Amino acid sequence: MSITTDRSQVSLLRRDRKFRPDWLLLISYMTLSALGLLMIYTASAPRLEALGVSPTRELEQQAAFVLIGFMAFGIVSLISMATIRPWVSAIYLGSVVTLVLVLSPLGSSVKGAQRWMQLGPIRFQPSEIAKLAVILALAALLAAAAKPMRWERVARAVALVVVPAALIFLQPDLGTMLTFGFIAGVMIFVAGATWRQVAALVVVGLIGTVGLFQVGAIKEYQITRLTAFLDPVSDVLNTQYNQYQSQIAIGTGGLFGKGLFNGTQTNLRFVPEQSSDFIFTAVGEQLGFVGSLLVLVLFGIMIWRVLVSAANAATRFGQLAATGVAALLAFHVFVNVGMTVRLMPVTGLPLPFMSSGGTVFVMMSVALGLSHSTWLRRPTLPIERSGAS
Amino acid sequence: MTGTWRLAGVGIVLAIMLGVLGLRLWTIQVTETDTYTAVAEQNLIRVVPTPAPRGDVFDRNGELLAGTRASLAAVVDMGLVEDEFAEVLAQRLSAFLDRPASEILERFENANSGAQIILAEDLTEQQALTLLEHREEFPGVAVIPQPIREYPGGELAAQVLGYIGKPSEADLERPDVKGTDVVGKAGIERSYDDLLRGTEGVIKYQVDAGRSVLELLGEQESAPGDNLILTIDIGIQAQLQQSLEAGLGLARDVEMAERQEALAAENGDIRTRLFLALEAKQLEAKRAEIERAAAEASGEESAVTDEDSADVDTVIEIDEGKVLGSLYPGLPVDGNGVCEPVQRVEVGVTSRTLLSGIKERTMQLLAVLQDRSQRIAVVDIDGERFEVEEGDSFATTLRAIAVTEDSIVVSHSDKWCPVRTVGVVEDPDNGAILAMASYPSFDPNSFVSGLTQSEWESLGTINAFTNFAIQGQYAPASTFKVVSYVLAMEEGIYPLDRPVGDRILGDENTDTTPLDEEGGEEEAAQSVEPTPSDSDLKPLTSDTDLYNCTGSLRFEFNDGSSQVYRDWKRNGHGPLDLHGALQASCDLYFWEISLRIWNERSDETGINNEDLWQEWARSFGFGTETGIDLPFERPGLIPDRQWFRDEQRQDTGRVRSTGPWVGGDLMNAVVGQGAVLVTPLQLSNGFSAMLNGGTLWTPRVVSEMLDQEGNVVDENPKSIIQKIDMDSATVWGLRRDMQQVVNGAIGTARAAFAGFGPQVSTVGGKTGTAEIIKAVEDVQEVDTAWFVGVAPVMSPEYVVTVVVERGGSGGRVAAPVARQVLQYILNGEAAVTPLEAGANTD
Repeated sequence: MSITTDRSQVSLLRRDRKFRPDWLLLISYMTLSALGLLMIYTASAPRLEALGVSPTRELEQQAAFVLIGFMAFGIVSLISMATIRPWVSAIYLGSVVTLVLVLSPLGSSVKGAQRWMQLGPIRFQPSEIAKLAVILALAALLAAAAKPMRWERVARAVALVVVPAALIFLQPDLGTMLTFGFIAGVMIFVAGATWRQVAALVVVGLIGTVGLFQVGAIKEYQITRLTAFLDPVSDVLNTQYNQYQSQIAIGTGGLFGKGLFNGTQTNLRFVPEQSSDFIFTAVGEQLGFVGSLLVLVLFGIMIWRVLVSAANAATRFGQLAATGVAALLAFHVFVNVGMTVRLMPVTGLPLPFMSSGGTVFVMMSVALGLSHSTWLRRPTLPIERSGAS
Repeated sequence: MTGTWRLAGVGIVLAIMLGVLGLRLWTIQVTETDTYTAVAEQNLIRVVPTPAPRGDVFDRNGELLAGTRASLAAVVDMGLVEDEFAEVLAQRLSAFLDRPASEILERFENANSGAQIILAEDLTEQQALTLLEHREEFPGVAVIPQPIREYPGGELAAQVLGYIGKPSEADLERPDVKGTDVVGKAGIERSYDDLLRGTEGVIKYQVDAGRSVLELLGEQESAPGDNLILTIDIGIQAQLQQSLEAGLGLARDVEMAERQEALAAENGDIRTRLFLALEAKQLEAKRAEIERAAAEASGEESAVTDEDSADVDTVIEIDEGKVLGSLYPGLPVDGNGVCEPVQRVEVGVTSRTLLSGIKERTMQLLAVLQDRSQRIAVVDIDGERFEVEEGDSFATTLRAIAVTEDSIVVSHSDKWCPVRTVGVVEDPDNGAILAMASYPSFDPNSFVSGLTQSEWESLGTINAFTNFAIQGQYAPASTFKVVSYVLAMEEGIYPLDRPVGDRILGDENTDTTPLDEEGGEEEAAQSVEPTPSDSDLKPLTSDTDLYNCTGSLRFEFNDGSSQVYRDWKRNGHGPLDLHGALQASCDLYFWEISLRIWNERSDETGINNEDLWQEWARSFGFGTETGIDLPFERPGLIPDRQWFRDEQRQDTGRVRSTGPWVGGDLMNAVVGQGAVLVTPLQLSNGFSAMLNGGTLWTPRVVSEMLDQEGNVVDENPKSIIQKIDMDSATVWGLRRDMQQVVNGAIGTARAAFAGFGPQVSTVGGKTGTAEIIKAVEDVQEVDTAWFVGVAPVMSPEYVVTVVVERGGSGGRVAAPVARQVLQYILNGEAAVTPLEAGANTD
């Protein structure tokens, strides 16, 4: 595909007045964000009140991020993928550089992990930005792939992912590293990899992971964290304390939940990291199975819409970028919710649009914006044409 | 666009992932929600157990022996103390409890997370109030009711009651026993622990995940344990203990007097020096050197003081100035004239060359008795034993217990010094124990408040915690003649007829102990006058046929050799029948009975029932535990051929090291010596059975268990072990003869009961004196004085058994103790007359 084609599409879109947003995507995005704010409030207010500060402090903070995120989504939606594509290399390189910097004394450490970067008043997580950068870089690389894909292309794609993944591994942030693997796998598959290549990737991935364990690069606590969830009573008070408490909290929610502010587990702070990694616990306890299912359905709709954008994308670059976004969202949701119900180990991946945290929200919004951008610039579909006439 | 199917595939995979989450949520939130709700409840509530008061223990008249006082304790729930806060909390508690913060912090660190530790017991009211009022300053600290065990009588019945303490490994295997519990460790506190313990209660707090206590949710009060009513009579118990204590003093006074006498008779300045040798070889060399020096300069006082030849590298000589003359019996080490069974002696050291090395190396302490004849006594430190030279009166064991720069502390164990008195008072009609004690004793309250290490050790050294009435195994000596007495009457077996007036042996000066350790294998050294051959002797046929007790008896062996056995009374008792033999405690009479059993029935096949005597002894409960409701009871021992073959030889020092079971062993056994061992309770119970006409009761100290309302929940009724068929003539004869032991002209306890009072005729008894007894298992070489008293003798209601360990004569020291107890029982406290030594009888 060439840039010329993209330009023609933009003009086509404008000409046809097909500049129609994906309402379902917007509804799920906004509903999840709003629900996230509510959950953050219910989870943080009692604690903040006990500390004697404004109970809405965390809510206000997150609300600001949500607004920034909305704006970022809107802006990115309006930018054509074609406009972004020339910048991909720069974005990727910049991301790798910040990942290096975060490991340097410039980065700051939180709970044993070197994940934060301070830039003037802004503090952000380079690893979150890196997810976006990797999606874009992979999309650009794979968009030019021949069909069937050559091995050389697969190798380059893997190399592209391994560099930031290794840097993130050093932080250490196992969850994000695994996210890269998942995203890369999905994108390479969609880009047209042969079954052999897919199989080879799986094998290499497994060997790589086992190798890391073998050389002891993965620290003891990471292994413990990864395996502890398999044995619910091994050490309830330490390693999987959070997870166990979270599971209990969700379990007590029942079908309809205990109602807002009635979650004893949540409100009595048995579940730590309540408003960030374990925000889904507040949903499960307070809103029950119905509320939990609602959240999953909203994410389902969102991912479905992103995949539809990919299917309808005018360019391969857009298609692959949207595919990467879908994989990113799905992996985060699966791992995060899976963690709160002790289906997955504790990895520290936040729940998109709901967990508190600025970088994640803005980054996810940008990712969603990319997908939406391809949707807005999709070639006209017969149904829409007929609907317009 | 091509590849849409790939996107669809991805979509399906992602949908499945979400579906898995949905299913998992369904399981947790709908299917299993009840489980999680239950777990969440526990999450919120911390449960602090509150110990239950132990049940009270009363004597038979309802007097309190063990009770419980309410108190408050501070418990720290480590599950509620966050790590960062532990130090702050320790500091606050330190100021509050006046204990070093480091100590408190150490306890925090040693506790498991989630453990609840009792930090302070018996809080003052002020302390408890402060803790409760400032709960927020002491998160995780709870005030719980904690009952404290109290024994208002102090040492009264201490060994019967036992004591409580932290559970041992074995205790923890019992259901419902936790590491933080207190359990009975000895006595009825142990044997009735399950009843006494009660059910613990709980205090529930609601807490949040920040571990701070939100509110007190509720309290389930503990249920106290059941109360026990004992068969013990507090008055008799008190008198028994008082008399036992005084009795030990009396026995020691008697012993001291004897020593002074012996010393005066020897008219010698017997001195002792100590050498410390590092190895046995060097020790032997030193010993040889001393002997050589002694040979060269015999009669000279400083014969062994050869400073030059003493190799300073191997032998350390202890400053003689502090030791000389101090270790001979009669001159106690500390020089204050008190006979103490174990003394600590600090000895100066003149040569310090190797002192620092001593601690690391095997030590042997060499004590050299330096008197005119240069006799040598060597005593080991680390277990290997050097026997005292044959015929040596030196009877001291030494043990180095501490070595410092310039002194060695030696523990000096005086094996002739009386160490203990033990007593039992039993109701022969039902096995109820009215009193039971041994002295030295202890105060069980001290376990509640906590003993210091040195207190614990010093009480442990003298075995104050042990109930010797059931755990002490002693040779019963002449008291055991009643078994042969009953056997003779029931089986019609009497001694061989020896013509009255015909003295068999004339050598009065030969000093042979009746219990030669060689057991008669060798020919005795004494010249023996011709005696009538056995064929001339016919058995007596009734208990009134007279036997001539000459004072010594020759025992012939198949190989022609012979052994002379001597009665405790050198010149004999003259003509007497079975009754006289018991009253005067004539050894010969009973030896003759054993000889008849041996000669007529000895048969390894058992067809002729050579174990006739053992069967009678066992039928009265000897050789097996009585089954009293107290822990750690010992079985005693009734030896026979099988035991001798199977077990005796495995234990060096038991009776003798070689040879088969011989007639001499049976002779020793019938007079309660040799290998025979009984506990004081067994003797009391056996006498009870013989005196009540043949009913052997299970002895017991607890009669009833009551709940808190006073309702009887369980009983420990009298129960019969077995009924022995006894002729009434035997029973009446025994009662009358025991009466005569106390009242008759030849009675061995007559002197001891001289000041008894008008009711002396209703009292009976039997004395016993175990002379030199070889070490048998854990029983030291002891010299045991016995008295078993009974009153009223013709219809027995009380059997009083008294033992003085290493006490010497039963008639002299044991009978007076029993006399006081009987005086109290019959006529009350006012009738008790002061303790005085009786006659030196068997």
